[in-house]
Amino acid sequence: MSLHALSTDAPGEVVILSGNEAIARGGLEAGLGYAAAYPGSPSSEVLGSLAPLARDGGFYAEWSTNEKVAIEGAAAASFAGVRAMTVMKADGLNVALDPLTSLAYSGTKGGLVVVVCDDPGAHSSTKEEDTRYLARACHLPLLEPATVEEAKEMTRWAFDLSEAVGLPVFLRSVTRIAHARGSVVLGALRPPPRTARYDLKDRFITLSVFHQVLHQRIAQARARFEQAPFNRCEGPADASRLVIASGPSFTYAREAVRLLGAGDEVRVLKLGTTWPLPEDLLGAQLRGARQVLFLEEIEPFLETEVKSYWAQHAAALGPMTFLGKASGHVAGSGDPGVGELTPEIALRAVGALAGREVALRSEAFARKVEQVKLGELAPRALAFCPGCPHRASFWAIKAALELDGRQGVVLGDIGCYTLGAMQTGYFTLKTVHAMGSGVGLASGFGKLDLLGFTQPVVAVIGDSTFYHAVVPALVNARYNDSPVLVVVLDNATTAMTGHQPHPGTGRHAMGDLAPALPIEAIARGLGLPTEVQDPLQVDETVESVYRLLRTDGAKLLILRSPCVLLPSVKRLRRAAVDTTRCIGEACGCGRFCNRAFSCPALVWDRALERARVDEVLCSGCGVCIDLCPREAIAFQELA
Amino acid sequence: MGRGPSELQAQVLAADLCTACGACLGHCPYLKTLGERVAFIHPCPRDEGRCFEVCPRASLDPESLDRQVLGAPRRHPVLGGHDGLYFARALDADVRARGQYGGVATALTLFALESGLAGAALVTGGTPTRQPHAVVARDRDAVLAAAGTKYSACPTLEPLAGLLREGGEALAVVGRPCQVAAARKVEAHEKNGRLAALIGIFCFWALAPAFYRFLAGRPDLQRAIKMDLPKDGDMAFVVNGRAASVPLDEIRPLIRAACQTCFDPTAEWADVSVGSTEYDPAWNTLVVRTARGRDLVERAGAAGALEVRPYPPERIPILEEAVQRKKLRVLDALESGRPEAAYLRIPAAQRDAVRAHGRA
Repeated sequence: MSLHALSTDAPGEVVILSGNEAIARGGLEAGLGYAAAYPGSPSSEVLGSLAPLARDGGFYAEWSTNEKVAIEGAAAASFAGVRAMTVMKADGLNVALDPLTSLAYSGTKGGLVVVVCDDPGAHSSTKEEDTRYLARACHLPLLEPATVEEAKEMTRWAFDLSEAVGLPVFLRSVTRIAHARGSVVLGALRPPPRTARYDLKDRFITLSVFHQVLHQRIAQARARFEQAPFNRCEGPADASRLVIASGPSFTYAREAVRLLGAGDEVRVLKLGTTWPLPEDLLGAQLRGARQVLFLEEIEPFLETEVKSYWAQHAAALGPMTFLGKASGHVAGSGDPGVGELTPEIALRAVGALAGREVALRSEAFARKVEQVKLGELAPRALAFCPGCPHRASFWAIKAALELDGRQGVVLGDIGCYTLGAMQTGYFTLKTVHAMGSGVGLASGFGKLDLLGFTQPVVAVIGDSTFYHAVVPALVNARYNDSPVLVVVLDNATTAMTGHQPHPGTGRHAMGDLAPALPIEAIARGLGLPTEVQDPLQVDETVESVYRLLRTDGAKLLILRSPCVLLPSVKRLRRAAVDTTRCIGEACGCGRFCNRAFSCPALVWDRALERARVDEVLCSGCGVCIDLCPREAIAFQELA
Repeated sequence: MGRGPSELQAQVLAADLCTACGACLGHCPYLKTLGERVAFIHPCPRDEGRCFEVCPRASLDPESLDRQVLGAPRRHPVLGGHDGLYFARALDADVRARGQYGGVATALTLFALESGLAGAALVTGGTPTRQPHAVVARDRDAVLAAAGTKYSACPTLEPLAGLLREGGEALAVVGRPCQVAAARKVEAHEKNGRLAALIGIFCFWALAPAFYRFLAGRPDLQRAIKMDLPKDGDMAFVVNGRAASVPLDEIRPLIRAACQTCFDPTAEWADVSVGSTEYDPAWNTLVVRTARGRDLVERAGAAGALEVRPYPPERIPILEEAVQRKKLRVLDALESGRPEAAYLRIPAAQRDAVRAHGRA
């Protein structure tokens, strides 16, 4: 990414941007004055691109504590007549939903765009959610870009729409837009006016009487969607075979039609305004169609909406066959509404519609791919990075629970440490839900003693998660005297989403210093006994966890060690195996370092039949030095 | 049947039969202990292991231990092999003050170190009201600091494997009967003669760690410097020079489960065993069992560390009866097929002898 490309004021120039940068640029061209986000893949780079430009660009950008606060801050800007944007991943929208549904009733003033990046296939998510359902539930208009270029244009347009109808407007992106790159024709930058002001004649009140007003505003949005530049049709007007596609699926559809040579008989309707549907446009396109195929991600949203429209107008439209997820013609990883829609799936589906077939790849190539996949690539589990302090933390928590012997239950949360549910975290986590849920669950388990529950309960959370959604759950545990142990894996950053700062880091999104809010100060303020321990000191950590498991009431243990990928963490030394002390299989340890602890930097040297430390991967955390039963691993200072 | 970690886990640890002797520890990185509980912190991939072999609860074969230690079948069905039964006490006033009763275990340990018989002694450190810990004592101060009986199951043998692996000095071990049996199983494998003196402590049961939580609720007892369990009496404490007590009925539920099926309250395979006289708190019962034990006691006596007098003949049946009662209870458990006693490999003749003892 080039900040220069993003911030250059050269209308007409063509630059290469990622989808997230294009959305940011769309905001800059729309006069964006306020941007607030909580990081979450694939959305993180929108604010990540805006924040460094904010000071010079005369606008405000922040990493918010959570998505709910982010939308509230953006709404404030909107109420003051400022154009505002908030950015989140699909899961974040759930957090922001309460104020968003209220904002739909109260209405907004300055353009307010809610960018939500869905993650079809859940490449970097725990769930696969389709935001379009929630836009519908909020009664808020939603736009879906099909290309990187369109993501920029649509963002700009969304601000105008928001101001025209007085509602927040959703821009729904997906991973293949957010993280794809494409050429973008730059428009003129528009610095935000310095006229922020709350007009005391304005009232933004959430009240049920505004439900009716909301419906009227949605009708206005629908009317504007009829003329929106993001809906268009390609192919012969009289074709009876119609593809309706949205998002990147549109480009797959177009490609499939071309590969199949079906351009003369298949029409493709690209919808960029997917809720509310532009019904007049849709009705016109459906007329004459006999077979309709839907290509969209993730759920059959358009499919259902269009069928509903058809049912209402069946007499005029006549019989129609629908091909899509319901009919089984379009399926992701097995089931309708699961996984990404790939070009292969689109090709098969359009082939079925056109009654043609074409192989995307030659059979020989497909065979070769399978061969490589099955035979030549070593299967690799998701794993913590070499030297990741989380590995040490889970090792210690697991050991303490085994030593405690009361079948303690460890509840997980959302962050890098979610991997604690997998082999790399020794399958320690038994539950994973939403941000903060681990502590809420722990609080509940802790009160089951009345019902015969005797197991100790540990909630594992991250530092950013602590601020995001844990505090209310902690208050609950403290208030209701639930005997939980909350372990904060504090690596001094929001690591999983790309090292964004958070309230504990002492830095703002715009780079300046911020008052740090130490986790221990907050926890102690709640009256929780709180300890801080370095997880790389394994024995001490085991003892801390063990001891705290056996104390009454709610308490907090901070396992503090910075993420080894932080630029500020310098590698000064590394671990090295003394091959005269390591005796390989003769030790009887069963390759404890690389098999049991299993840091990726600990490898087995087949030639020497000894353990070896990969000198490139080793971060020098030193945990393996403490774990080796023969004291065969030692630090080596790096020059 | 395998003889390794899986069996140790299934038959001993998961079955709550572990006595926390500590002998299985220190061989590998998988077995660890905290709070007098031993556990695998990660599944061990081995089929066989020293952990199982040295565990006194994986299996205990009195006959083979008798052969190993005495070179002969036992001559006493209840007290185990011995060739001397005494009242004894330390002559050093400090030792008597710090040690339990007559301070004999402390005196013998000190003598073993100071005479050069052993370079280090494995003893159990701490105060009676806090969870004790294993101590590798190499001087008088360390031994004195660890003097006095602790009433829970400290894994005192935890450092043993490491000390033996490192080589060098001869070792003395002061331990509960289960620890003495375990040390003999270790000795059978090591065969290097470095276990120079095994000083066994009479133990009719140890308390579970829950005892310390119980004490935490009794601030009046938390600063006790000495504890005792007089015969048929309540648990006695000495706090700031004053006596206090807790009814035995409050203590009994805190007894470690594994101790209910212990067949060896007097450390029958020690070189010498030391216990209460249940009669005169200034003296200890001292059982001399092996030639090595005899030598230790005689040299300590000659050096003026120890004073020994004959066991009052009228007290012998009382001691025997207490031990026999415990053994009979365990035999009943064994013979009624209770799995927690299944570790015992006691031949029929020996069972009969225990039953017949004193009935003539």
